[in-house]
Amino acid sequence: MISRQRRIVVLLVWLTLVAAGVGWITRTHFSADLSAFLPQSPDARQRVLIEQLQTGVASRTLLIGIEDGADAAQRAVLSRSVAKAMRDSGLFDQVQNGDASDWKAAGTWLFDHRYRLSTSVTPERFTAVGLHDAIAGTLSLLGTPAGNLVKPLLDRDPTGETQGVAESLIPANAPRTEAGVWASRSAPRAVLLATTHAPGSDLDALTIAIARVQSAFDAATHDMKGAKPRLRLSGAPVFSVQSRDQIKGEAIHLSIVGGIVMGCLLLLAFASPKALLIAFLPVLTGVVAGTTTVSLVFGNVHGLTMGFGSTLIGETIDYAIYYLIQARGAAIPGTGWQRWRDLNWPTVRLGLMTSVCGFAALLFSGFPGLAQLGVFSIAGLVAAALATRYVLPVLAPDGATGMGMRRTMAKVAGAIVRGLPRLRLGLFALGIAALALLAWRGADLWRANLSSMSPLPKEAQALDESLRTDIGASDGGLLVVAQGADVQTVLRNAEAASARLEKLVDSGELGGFETVTRFLPSEAAQQARVASLPDSATLRARLTEAMKDLPLPVARLEPFLADVEAARNQPMVQREDLATGPLGPIVNSLIYQRPGGGWGALIALHPGAEFDQTRLEAALAGLPDVQVVDVGRELGALYDRYLHEAFVQVLLGALAVVVLLGLYLRSARRLLAVCQPLVFAVVLTLGGLALLQVQLGILHLVGMLLVVAVGSNYALFFDQLHETGRADEDTLASLMLANVTTVVSFGLIAISNIPSLSAIGRVVAPGAMLALLLSAAFVRGAPAAARVSSNRR
Amino acid sequence: MISGLKISDWFGRGFASTWRRLVSGLLLLVAFSASSAWAFELPELMALLAKQKSGEARFTEQRFVHGLEGPLNASGTLSFTAPDKLSRRTLTPRPESMVVDGNNMVLTRGERTRTMTLDSVPELQGLVEAMRGTLSGDATALTRYFKSTVGGSAGGWTLDLQPLDSRLAAQVRSVRMSGRGSDVLGLDMEFIGGDRSVMTIVPTRPAP
Repeated sequence: MISRQRRIVVLLVWLTLVAAGVGWITRTHFSADLSAFLPQSPDARQRVLIEQLQTGVASRTLLIGIEDGADAAQRAVLSRSVAKAMRDSGLFDQVQNGDASDWKAAGTWLFDHRYRLSTSVTPERFTAVGLHDAIAGTLSLLGTPAGNLVKPLLDRDPTGETQGVAESLIPANAPRTEAGVWASRSAPRAVLLATTHAPGSDLDALTIAIARVQSAFDAATHDMKGAKPRLRLSGAPVFSVQSRDQIKGEAIHLSIVGGIVMGCLLLLAFASPKALLIAFLPVLTGVVAGTTTVSLVFGNVHGLTMGFGSTLIGETIDYAIYYLIQARGAAIPGTGWQRWRDLNWPTVRLGLMTSVCGFAALLFSGFPGLAQLGVFSIAGLVAAALATRYVLPVLAPDGATGMGMRRTMAKVAGAIVRGLPRLRLGLFALGIAALALLAWRGADLWRANLSSMSPLPKEAQALDESLRTDIGASDGGLLVVAQGADVQTVLRNAEAASARLEKLVDSGELGGFETVTRFLPSEAAQQARVASLPDSATLRARLTEAMKDLPLPVARLEPFLADVEAARNQPMVQREDLATGPLGPIVNSLIYQRPGGGWGALIALHPGAEFDQTRLEAALAGLPDVQVVDVGRELGALYDRYLHEAFVQVLLGALAVVVLLGLYLRSARRLLAVCQPLVFAVVLTLGGLALLQVQLGILHLVGMLLVVAVGSNYALFFDQLHETGRADEDTLASLMLANVTTVVSFGLIAISNIPSLSAIGRVVAPGAMLALLLSAAFVRGAPAAARVSSNRR
Repeated sequence: MISGLKISDWFGRGFASTWRRLVSGLLLLVAFSASSAWAFELPELMALLAKQKSGEARFTEQRFVHGLEGPLNASGTLSFTAPDKLSRRTLTPRPESMVVDGNNMVLTRGERTRTMTLDSVPELQGLVEAMRGTLSGDATALTRYFKSTVGGSAGGWTLDLQPLDSRLAAQVRSVRMSGRGSDVLGLDMEFIGGDRSVMTIVPTRPAP
């Protein structure tokens, strides 16, 4: 019997710990950015990629479509009013909808600084010959449709520097303009492009920004009659928020359905609501402990950790089932738990340790996200086991009272256990066949890639692609990044890269590119340009010579002379001044302070039809601190590394499980007998997936680790059964029940819409069932087990 | 005249260009003789122009700009391939080119090349569509952007265009194209502010 005092102490300690955990969790920050699943020790390209994923402009870019409704004019009105509300909100660094008035302030600034910005400003251009050519070039635009744009600037900028700067800023794939705003080429839709102020990793802030767009649209359409347009949103912020919501929703949904199904099963088995409640206590304790520990160790909890972790430690419901059933039937009431403690707890403890070994492998992963899962699972399992060991005896010293359907379960289980060994040879052959299939398919089997883990539905991906095509926004697939210790070094590196890219543009291999140096040239470049400008007297003399055979009277060019003189004494264009001006958002998105120190400049590419990546890389080869980052390729490489690491970790984890079992069993024969069904379960599961042409990935691998962790419990029970000769109905029933709950809960996960969740479910559900059946089939001296079992009847 | 049109179509598919020229000559004759009985309107002009699927020409251009002492002269070549390829290569006074293909426009001035989309600049799109519409005989493209008036006869026609779009109208006052048969021989533009450009076109390659 447990003394009253001890019971109170145990319950108090448990309740206090759980309450403290819950308290801590309410203050925990739940993150959801993908970067937690990126490596901690990346190479240079991967680091660029990670910086971009965390805070880069791609992670903050919202694509907005205003679709259908009455006509283009109505959509344009909406586009303008939504854009205005968004700009006024201060939540966005920039909002573009194609309205030319956006550029008024920026245009004035560009005009005022043209002699510092224009790449054409060289000493040769300001010789008599150079001036003649430049002015003749500008005159060739007069009397053409472009003439009205050039004419007002002629007297101040006869060499056409403004026009050169402006031309370089026109994107090669600008969106269509309809009714004065950007519109789609393929659908009746106005399009907008916005960059959130919040970084891509701040999901709460992104949620607010997205809600602001929605409310601006709702307000603008509120009094609209007739056909109302629809708002379509896409881009990384939308996906991040949706993914989080979806994972959250699905996790809640699955736990509710899973809970109800398991509850029904347990109710059938125990016919007692109290037993039902008690059975869930270790699981809940485990979730609280896991979350709290992760929060304490990492400072935050990733949404995926919560989603997956709760699944991973779902096996802890087995602990309670074993306890509730095996503590029954004590001769003296209140001592059932002692019998369980002496007979069954060592096996549970061993099963716990093997599981912990399996998950410990994740701890050494170079990916913080996986490490979080490892910590969560280990802490959760240990806490659940401790709750089973110490709290359940207090609450239900003699296990569950009711008998429910367990007798039937035991009968079924008994029949299976007696029948299965006969199938041994067949199962063995099947296992060999599966192994052969796996060996034949080899590495080809592991073809799943990152996109197969993406929870985005196909329609969302299609919408994103269509909006990107409308806006001509690159999907950030290919980036050129220049780096340096300080702003000036970065700008010089970016200028060197731009000079080479410009050649590719001229030869038609590149559609165009965007670089910050068009607004913010390095001080060296600015100095060189200003040094090309002659003093007033020299310029006047050269101009007189240059204009001899041109129809423009020199007398008109006094403002030009004045502007050049002013430019010679203009202060240097500095990043700090630009950052707060009309060009601030663009400048800030193209040059950024790197989290690890130093600066980076982003050069966005518009590839064009004849683009060849190897030619691009060749063109940029040899430039210091300039990298071409192919996001798809880098993510692929990252995934391969991820997969490789996961393989090693799973193997190490499996090895640790075997060593632990060996130490405990101290017998090669018994060890073999325990491992055999586990190996076969894994091989048969993989073989089945291979037959179904499933492309395997990391999460399947994690699932296999779980099969081993869960399955080792079953194998150990059969080993125990053989050693002690005790194979009573209750043990069989508990095994059966534990297995059914596991299979059901992972079966539910298998039909989840989130690919990464369903991958785990599709491995563990069949794997766990096979582990039990195979453990029964391969039980050492099976006839003996059958005999023992039938002796009891 | 209607049967004449059909015959010319039929011939045009299989015969060498000399035959084609002969037939269009015949057609012109028919058109001349019928001009008193048939009003020469936009559909007739368009049908005439639609015959020419591609063409090349030399041009000389004079532009009269206020504030400049004397006209600006330019010359070069033009080419068109139905339905939407159009290029203007200036050879003097300085080489530059504008090539439109579908929705893409490539501008080359000196060593610099710029690619841009036509429909991102609606004013420009209007002008280019009017040009392409006229050359390919597509009245719908033309009338979307301009109010048109046709004058003369097949043997010597003019097509006057007034922009409908307000943004284009803020730049271009009027466009006048002139020609004979399926050949465009002149393009005059008058801009807001009084600047003018007069282009004389000489076909160098007959219709294939």
